[in-house]
Amino acid sequence: MHDNKPQASSLKSQVYEVFRREKAGAPMVHAGSVTADSPELALIYARESFGRRGESQALWVVPRAAVIELDDADILAPALERGYRSVEGYRMREKLQVVRERLKSDKITG
Amino acid sequence: MRELSENLHTQLVELLLALADDEFVTGYANSEWTGIAPLLEEDIAFSSLAQDELGHARLFYELLSELQIADCRLQIEPEANLQSTIYNLQSPDAIAYGRAPSGFRNARLVERPRGDWAYSVSRQFLYDTADYVRIESLCRSAYAPLADAAASIIREEKYHLLHAQTWLDRLANGGAAARGRQRAAFEVLWPDALGLFEPVLGENALVAAGILPDSFAALQQRWLSSIAEPLRRLELPFPFVSDERGWEALLAPDYGGRRGEHSESFTALYEQITSVYQLDPNATW
Repeated sequence: MHDNKPQASSLKSQVYEVFRREKAGAPMVHAGSVTADSPELALIYARESFGRRGESQALWVVPRAAVIELDDADILAPALERGYRSVEGYRMREKLQVVRERLKSDKITG
Repeated sequence: MRELSENLHTQLVELLLALADDEFVTGYANSEWTGIAPLLEEDIAFSSLAQDELGHARLFYELLSELQIADCRLQIEPEANLQSTIYNLQSPDAIAYGRAPSGFRNARLVERPRGDWAYSVSRQFLYDTADYVRIESLCRSAYAPLADAAASIIREEKYHLLHAQTWLDRLANGGAAARGRQRAAFEVLWPDALGLFEPVLGENALVAAGILPDSFAALQQRWLSSIAEPLRRLELPFPFVSDERGWEALLAPDYGGRRGEHSESFTALYEQITSVYQLDPNATW
Protein backbone atom coordinates (compact mmCIF):
# COMPACT_ATOMS: atom_id res chain seq x y z
CA MET A 1 0.00 0.00 0.00
CA HIS A 2 3.01 2.27 0.41
CA ASP A 3 4.80 1.03 -2.64
CA ASN A 4 4.35 4.17 -4.68
CA LYS A 5 6.26 6.25 -2.12
CA PRO A 6 9.57 7.72 -3.16
CA GLN A 7 12.43 5.95 -1.51
CA ALA A 8 15.71 6.59 -3.20
CA SER A 9 15.78 10.30 -2.34
CA SER A 10 14.64 9.90 1.25
CA LEU A 11 17.29 7.26 1.89
CA LYS A 12 20.14 9.38 0.63
CA SER A 13 22.72 10.02 3.27
CA GLN A 14 24.17 13.52 3.26
CA VAL A 15 26.24 15.94 5.26
CA TYR A 16 24.49 18.59 7.30
CA GLU A 17 26.30 21.64 8.63
CA VAL A 18 25.42 22.36 12.25
CA PHE A 19 25.08 25.86 13.71
CA ARG A 20 24.51 26.59 17.35
CA ARG A 21 23.53 29.50 19.57
CA GLU A 22 25.36 29.51 22.85
CA LYS A 23 23.14 31.91 24.75
CA ALA A 24 20.21 34.22 24.21
CA GLY A 25 21.08 37.04 21.83
CA ALA A 26 24.31 35.41 20.63
CA PRO A 27 24.66 34.80 16.90
CA MET A 28 24.42 31.35 15.36
CA VAL A 29 27.93 30.08 14.80
CA HIS A 30 29.14 27.12 12.84
CA ALA A 31 29.77 24.17 15.16
CA GLY A 32 30.62 21.28 12.83
CA SER A 33 28.79 18.76 10.75
CA VAL A 34 26.94 15.47 10.94
CA THR A 35 26.08 12.83 8.37
CA ALA A 36 22.48 11.67 8.38
CA ASP A 37 19.87 9.97 6.23
CA SER A 38 17.19 12.58 6.87
CA PRO A 39 16.90 16.15 8.20
CA GLU A 40 15.06 14.82 11.29
CA LEU A 41 17.88 12.44 12.11
CA ALA A 42 20.42 15.19 11.42
CA LEU A 43 18.83 17.25 14.20
CA ILE A 44 19.00 14.33 16.61
CA TYR A 45 22.65 13.69 15.79
CA ALA A 46 23.46 17.40 16.05
CA ARG A 47 21.91 17.41 19.49
CA GLU A 48 24.14 14.50 20.51
CA SER A 49 27.34 16.13 19.35
CA PHE A 50 26.66 19.82 19.98
CA GLY A 51 23.82 20.11 22.48
CA ARG A 52 23.87 17.27 24.94
CA ARG A 53 25.77 19.04 27.71
CA GLY A 54 23.79 22.25 27.89
CA GLU A 55 26.27 24.06 25.65
CA SER A 56 23.68 25.21 23.12
CA GLN A 57 20.43 27.07 23.37
CA ALA A 58 19.37 26.43 19.80
CA LEU A 59 20.64 24.39 16.86
CA TRP A 60 20.27 24.64 13.10
CA VAL A 61 21.10 21.94 10.62
CA VAL A 62 21.55 22.87 6.99
CA PRO A 63 22.25 20.43 4.17
CA ARG A 64 25.77 21.16 2.99
CA ALA A 65 24.41 20.98 -0.55
CA ALA A 66 22.27 24.06 0.22
CA VAL A 67 25.33 26.18 0.94
CA ILE A 68 26.31 28.51 -1.88
CA GLU A 69 29.99 28.97 -1.66
CA LEU A 70 32.42 31.59 -2.81
CA ASP A 71 35.95 30.40 -2.47
CA ASP A 72 38.08 32.29 -4.96
CA ALA A 73 41.25 34.06 -3.94
CA ASP A 74 41.09 36.31 -7.02
CA ILE A 75 37.80 37.71 -5.79
CA LEU A 76 38.24 37.55 -2.05
CA ALA A 77 41.91 38.46 -1.82
CA PRO A 78 42.75 40.94 -4.58
CA ALA A 79 46.32 41.01 -5.69
CA LEU A 80 46.72 44.81 -5.54
CA GLU A 81 47.64 46.61 -2.38
CA ARG A 82 44.54 48.30 -0.97
CA GLY A 83 45.63 48.89 2.57
CA TYR A 84 44.22 52.39 2.44
CA ARG A 85 40.75 50.87 2.27
CA SER A 86 41.24 48.94 5.45
CA VAL A 87 40.31 50.39 8.81
CA GLU A 88 43.06 48.40 10.46
CA GLY A 89 45.54 50.61 12.21
CA TYR A 90 43.22 53.59 12.02
CA ARG A 91 42.82 54.58 15.63
CA MET A 92 39.37 55.75 16.50
CA ARG A 93 39.40 55.34 20.21
CA GLU A 94 41.33 58.49 21.13
CA LYS A 95 39.44 60.62 18.64
CA LEU A 96 36.08 59.40 19.92
CA GLN A 97 37.20 60.04 23.44
CA VAL A 98 38.05 63.65 22.59
CA VAL A 99 34.70 64.18 20.90
CA ARG A 100 32.79 62.66 23.82
CA GLU A 101 34.62 64.85 26.32
CA ARG A 102 33.88 67.91 24.23
CA LEU A 103 30.19 67.08 23.93
CA LYS A 104 29.99 66.55 27.66
CA SER A 105 31.60 69.86 28.51
CA ASP A 106 29.46 71.62 25.87
CA LYS A 107 26.38 70.29 27.60
CA ILE A 108 27.55 71.47 30.99
CA THR A 109 28.63 74.91 29.90
CA GLY A 110 25.94 75.35 27.27
CA MET B 1 5.16 14.41 52.12
CA ARG B 2 8.67 13.36 53.13
CA GLU B 3 7.69 11.00 55.92
CA LEU B 4 5.70 7.94 55.02
CA SER B 5 3.32 6.09 57.18
CA GLU B 6 5.16 2.88 58.00
CA ASN B 7 2.76 0.50 56.36
CA LEU B 8 3.42 2.11 52.97
CA HIS B 9 7.16 1.43 52.89
CA THR B 10 6.88 -2.02 51.37
CA GLN B 11 4.53 -0.83 48.64
CA LEU B 12 6.74 2.13 47.84
CA VAL B 13 9.74 -0.18 47.50
CA GLU B 14 7.77 -2.24 44.98
CA LEU B 15 6.93 0.85 42.95
CA LEU B 16 10.47 2.24 43.01
CA LEU B 17 11.93 -1.14 42.06
CA ALA B 18 9.55 -1.36 39.09
CA LEU B 19 10.60 2.11 37.90
CA ALA B 20 14.30 1.60 38.57
CA ASP B 21 14.53 -1.88 37.08
CA ASP B 22 12.67 -0.89 33.90
CA GLU B 23 15.18 1.90 33.33
CA PHE B 24 18.18 -0.18 34.37
CA VAL B 25 17.44 -3.18 32.17
CA THR B 26 16.36 -0.99 29.22
CA GLY B 27 19.56 1.00 29.54
CA TYR B 28 21.65 -2.13 29.55
CA ALA B 29 19.75 -3.78 26.69
CA ASN B 30 19.98 -0.70 24.46
CA SER B 31 23.67 -0.23 25.24
CA GLU B 32 24.23 -3.50 23.41
CA TRP B 33 23.90 -1.43 20.22
CA THR B 34 27.02 0.54 21.07
CA GLY B 35 29.46 -0.10 18.27
CA ILE B 36 27.03 -1.99 16.05
CA ALA B 37 24.23 0.47 15.33
CA PRO B 38 23.48 0.94 11.61
CA LEU B 39 25.20 4.34 11.43
CA LEU B 40 28.00 5.88 13.42
CA GLU B 41 25.93 8.92 14.39
CA GLU B 42 23.05 6.69 15.42
CA ASP B 43 25.45 4.60 17.44
CA ILE B 44 26.25 7.70 19.48
CA ALA B 45 22.59 8.73 19.77
CA PHE B 46 21.26 5.34 20.84
CA SER B 47 24.09 4.84 23.32
CA SER B 48 23.38 8.25 24.75
CA LEU B 49 19.72 7.32 25.25
CA ALA B 50 20.84 4.14 26.99
CA GLN B 51 23.03 6.18 29.31
CA ASP B 52 20.12 8.49 30.09
CA GLU B 53 18.07 5.47 31.15
CA LEU B 54 20.87 4.23 33.40
CA GLY B 55 21.03 7.70 34.92
CA HIS B 56 17.30 7.58 35.65
CA ALA B 57 17.72 4.12 37.18
CA ARG B 58 20.40 5.51 39.45
CA LEU B 59 18.05 8.24 40.68
CA PHE B 60 15.44 5.64 41.62
CA TYR B 61 18.01 3.31 43.23
CA GLU B 62 19.18 6.26 45.32
CA LEU B 63 15.61 6.83 46.50
CA LEU B 64 15.43 3.15 47.40
CA SER B 65 18.74 3.36 49.21
CA GLU B 66 17.50 6.27 51.32
CA LEU B 67 14.38 4.30 52.19
CA GLN B 68 16.42 1.25 53.15
CA ILE B 69 18.66 3.28 55.40
CA ALA B 70 15.68 5.00 56.97
CA ASP B 71 13.98 1.71 57.74
CA CYS B 72 16.40 -1.10 58.50
CA ARG B 73 13.58 -3.62 58.84
CA LEU B 74 13.02 -3.40 55.11
CA GLN B 75 14.99 -6.01 53.27
CA ILE B 76 15.39 -6.12 49.57
CA GLU B 77 16.21 -9.77 49.13
CA PRO B 78 19.88 -10.32 48.28
CA GLU B 79 21.09 -12.90 45.80
CA ALA B 80 21.26 -16.28 47.61
CA ASN B 81 25.02 -16.79 47.27
CA LEU B 82 25.69 -13.33 48.60
CA GLN B 83 23.84 -13.61 51.85
CA SER B 84 26.99 -14.35 53.79
CA THR B 85 28.65 -11.19 52.54
CA ILE B 86 25.77 -8.76 52.37
CA TYR B 87 23.65 -8.19 55.38
CA ASN B 88 21.06 -6.18 53.53
CA LEU B 89 21.11 -4.13 50.40
CA GLN B 90 21.54 -0.52 51.29
CA SER B 91 23.73 1.16 48.69
CA PRO B 92 22.33 1.94 45.24
CA ASP B 93 24.97 -0.35 43.71
CA ALA B 94 24.09 -3.22 46.00
CA ILE B 95 20.42 -2.83 45.16
CA ALA B 96 21.15 -2.71 41.44
CA TYR B 97 23.65 -5.57 41.24
CA GLY B 98 23.21 -7.60 44.40
CA ARG B 99 19.69 -8.94 44.06
CA ALA B 100 18.45 -12.35 43.03
CA PRO B 101 16.80 -12.44 39.58
CA SER B 102 13.42 -12.84 41.28
CA GLY B 103 14.04 -9.55 43.08
CA PHE B 104 13.87 -7.63 39.79
CA ARG B 105 10.58 -5.91 39.05
CA ASN B 106 11.14 -4.81 35.46
CA ALA B 107 8.50 -5.58 32.84
CA ARG B 108 9.37 -8.43 30.51
CA LEU B 109 9.37 -6.03 27.57
CA VAL B 110 12.79 -4.66 28.49
CA GLU B 111 14.51 -8.01 29.09
CA ARG B 112 13.94 -9.51 25.64
CA PRO B 113 16.97 -9.88 23.36
CA ARG B 114 17.62 -6.72 21.34
CA GLY B 115 16.50 -8.40 18.09
CA ASP B 116 17.00 -6.45 14.88
CA TRP B 117 17.17 -2.67 14.59
CA ALA B 118 13.44 -2.39 13.84
CA TYR B 119 12.65 -4.36 16.99
CA SER B 120 14.89 -2.22 19.18
CA VAL B 121 13.68 1.18 17.95
CA SER B 122 10.05 0.01 17.99
CA ARG B 123 10.55 -1.17 21.55
CA GLN B 124 12.10 2.19 22.36
CA PHE B 125 8.99 3.87 20.93
CA LEU B 126 6.60 1.80 23.05
CA TYR B 127 8.77 2.00 26.15
CA ASP B 128 9.51 5.71 26.06
CA THR B 129 5.98 6.79 25.18
CA ALA B 130 4.75 4.69 28.13
CA ASP B 131 7.51 5.93 30.40
CA TYR B 132 6.65 9.52 29.50
CA VAL B 133 3.03 9.08 30.58
CA ARG B 134 4.09 7.40 33.80
CA ILE B 135 6.78 9.94 34.71
CA GLU B 136 4.49 12.85 33.85
CA SER B 137 1.96 11.48 36.33
CA LEU B 138 4.61 10.91 39.02
CA CYS B 139 5.57 14.59 38.87
CA ARG B 140 2.42 15.01 41.00
CA SER B 141 3.29 12.27 43.47
CA ALA B 142 2.55 13.04 47.10
CA TYR B 143 5.92 11.50 47.96
CA ALA B 144 8.13 14.53 47.39
CA PRO B 145 11.45 12.75 46.63
CA LEU B 146 9.70 10.81 43.87
CA ALA B 147 7.96 13.89 42.48
CA ASP B 148 11.32 15.72 42.42
CA ALA B 149 13.03 12.84 40.60
CA ALA B 150 10.19 12.65 38.07
CA ALA B 151 10.37 16.39 37.42
CA SER B 152 14.03 16.19 36.46
CA ILE B 153 13.61 13.04 34.38
CA ILE B 154 10.65 14.31 32.36
CA ARG B 155 12.75 16.92 30.57
CA GLU B 156 15.09 14.27 29.16
CA GLU B 157 12.16 12.12 28.15
CA LYS B 158 11.06 14.76 25.65
CA TYR B 159 14.20 14.08 23.63
CA HIS B 160 13.63 10.34 23.88
CA LEU B 161 10.18 10.87 22.35
CA LEU B 162 11.70 12.85 19.48
CA HIS B 163 14.10 10.00 18.74
CA ALA B 164 11.38 7.36 19.01
CA GLN B 165 8.95 9.27 16.78
CA THR B 166 11.62 9.96 14.17
CA TRP B 167 12.51 6.29 13.77
CA LEU B 168 8.87 5.24 13.84
CA ASP B 169 8.18 7.52 10.86
CA ARG B 170 11.41 6.64 9.14
CA LEU B 171 10.86 2.88 9.12
CA ALA B 172 7.16 3.23 8.29
CA ASN B 173 8.02 5.40 5.30
CA GLY B 174 10.99 3.30 4.27
CA GLY B 175 11.26 0.39 1.88
CA ALA B 176 9.32 -2.87 2.01
CA ALA B 177 12.01 -4.53 4.14
CA ALA B 178 11.91 -1.77 6.75
CA ARG B 179 8.12 -1.76 6.91
CA GLY B 180 7.97 -5.55 7.13
CA ARG B 181 10.42 -5.70 9.99
CA GLN B 182 8.72 -2.86 11.83
CA ARG B 183 5.32 -4.50 11.52
CA ALA B 184 6.71 -7.85 12.71
CA ALA B 185 8.34 -6.10 15.66
CA PHE B 186 5.09 -4.47 16.78
CA GLU B 187 3.23 -7.79 16.52
CA VAL B 188 5.68 -9.36 18.97
CA LEU B 189 6.00 -6.29 21.19
CA TRP B 190 2.37 -5.61 22.09
CA PRO B 191 1.75 -8.24 24.81
CA ASP B 192 5.09 -7.34 26.42
CA ALA B 193 4.43 -3.61 26.18
CA LEU B 194 1.14 -4.00 28.04
CA GLY B 195 3.21 -5.57 30.81
CA LEU B 196 4.62 -2.10 31.54
CA PHE B 197 1.26 -1.34 33.13
CA GLU B 198 0.99 -4.53 35.15
CA PRO B 199 -0.06 -3.35 38.62
CA VAL B 200 2.67 -3.35 41.24
CA LEU B 201 1.99 -5.10 44.55
CA GLY B 202 0.16 -2.74 46.86
CA GLU B 203 -0.89 -0.39 44.09
CA ASN B 204 -4.25 0.46 45.67
CA ALA B 205 -2.64 1.71 48.87
CA LEU B 206 -0.19 3.83 46.86
CA VAL B 207 -3.02 5.37 44.85
CA ALA B 208 -5.04 6.05 48.00
CA ALA B 209 -2.05 7.83 49.55
CA GLY B 210 -1.45 9.90 46.41
CA ILE B 211 2.04 8.43 45.97
CA LEU B 212 0.75 7.08 42.68
CA PRO B 213 -1.42 9.92 41.32
CA ASP B 214 -2.99 7.56 38.75
CA SER B 215 -3.56 3.81 38.73
CA PHE B 216 -1.61 1.82 36.16
CA ALA B 217 -4.89 1.01 34.41
CA ALA B 218 -5.58 4.74 34.02
CA LEU B 219 -2.02 5.34 32.81
CA GLN B 220 -2.37 2.61 30.22
CA GLN B 221 -5.50 4.29 28.85
CA ARG B 222 -3.71 7.62 28.64
CA TRP B 223 -0.72 6.01 26.96
CA LEU B 224 -2.85 4.27 24.30
CA SER B 225 -4.63 7.55 23.55
CA SER B 226 -1.28 9.24 23.08
CA ILE B 227 0.00 6.76 20.49
CA ALA B 228 -3.18 5.66 18.71
CA GLU B 229 -3.00 8.42 16.11
CA PRO B 230 0.54 7.90 14.76
CA LEU B 231 0.23 4.11 14.80
CA ARG B 232 -3.07 4.11 12.93
CA ARG B 233 -1.87 6.75 10.48
CA LEU B 234 1.20 4.65 9.70
CA GLU B 235 -0.96 1.52 9.46
CA LEU B 236 1.00 -0.26 12.16
CA PRO B 237 -0.50 -2.93 14.43
CA PHE B 238 -2.69 -1.33 17.11
CA PRO B 239 -4.76 -4.18 18.55
CA PHE B 240 -7.31 -2.16 20.54
CA VAL B 241 -10.89 -1.07 20.13
CA SER B 242 -12.35 1.93 21.89
CA ASP B 243 -15.75 2.40 23.44
CA GLU B 244 -17.09 4.79 26.07
CA ARG B 245 -14.98 3.03 28.75
CA GLY B 246 -11.79 3.55 26.83
CA TRP B 247 -9.42 1.22 25.00
CA GLU B 248 -10.00 -2.47 25.16
CA ALA B 249 -7.11 -4.78 24.27
CA LEU B 250 -7.70 -7.46 21.68
CA LEU B 251 -4.87 -9.52 23.07
CA ALA B 252 -3.74 -10.71 26.49
CA PRO B 253 -0.91 -8.85 28.21
CA ASP B 254 2.24 -10.72 29.18
CA TYR B 255 2.42 -10.10 32.92
CA GLY B 256 4.82 -11.40 35.54
CA GLY B 257 7.69 -8.94 35.60
CA ARG B 258 6.27 -6.87 38.45
CA ARG B 259 6.10 -10.03 40.57
CA GLY B 260 9.67 -11.03 39.76
CA GLU B 261 8.64 -13.73 37.29
CA HIS B 262 10.90 -13.29 34.32
CA SER B 263 11.42 -14.90 30.96
CA GLU B 264 14.32 -17.15 30.10
CA SER B 265 16.10 -14.35 28.30
CA PHE B 266 16.36 -12.46 31.56
CA THR B 267 18.67 -15.10 33.02
CA ALA B 268 21.38 -14.44 30.47
CA LEU B 269 20.94 -10.69 30.78
CA TYR B 270 21.03 -10.87 34.57
CA GLU B 271 24.24 -12.87 34.55
CA GLN B 272 25.94 -10.34 32.35
CA ILE B 273 24.68 -7.33 34.26
CA THR B 274 25.75 -8.67 37.64
CA SER B 275 28.82 -10.71 36.65
CA VAL B 276 31.46 -8.16 37.60
CA TYR B 277 29.81 -6.94 40.80
CA GLN B 278 29.24 -10.45 42.06
CA LEU B 279 32.89 -11.44 41.65
CA ASP B 280 33.42 -9.67 44.94
CA PRO B 281 30.50 -7.59 46.25
CA ASN B 282 32.64 -6.06 49.01
CA ALA B 283 35.45 -4.97 46.72
CA THR B 284 36.41 -1.34 46.49
CA TRP B 285 36.78 -0.44 42.83
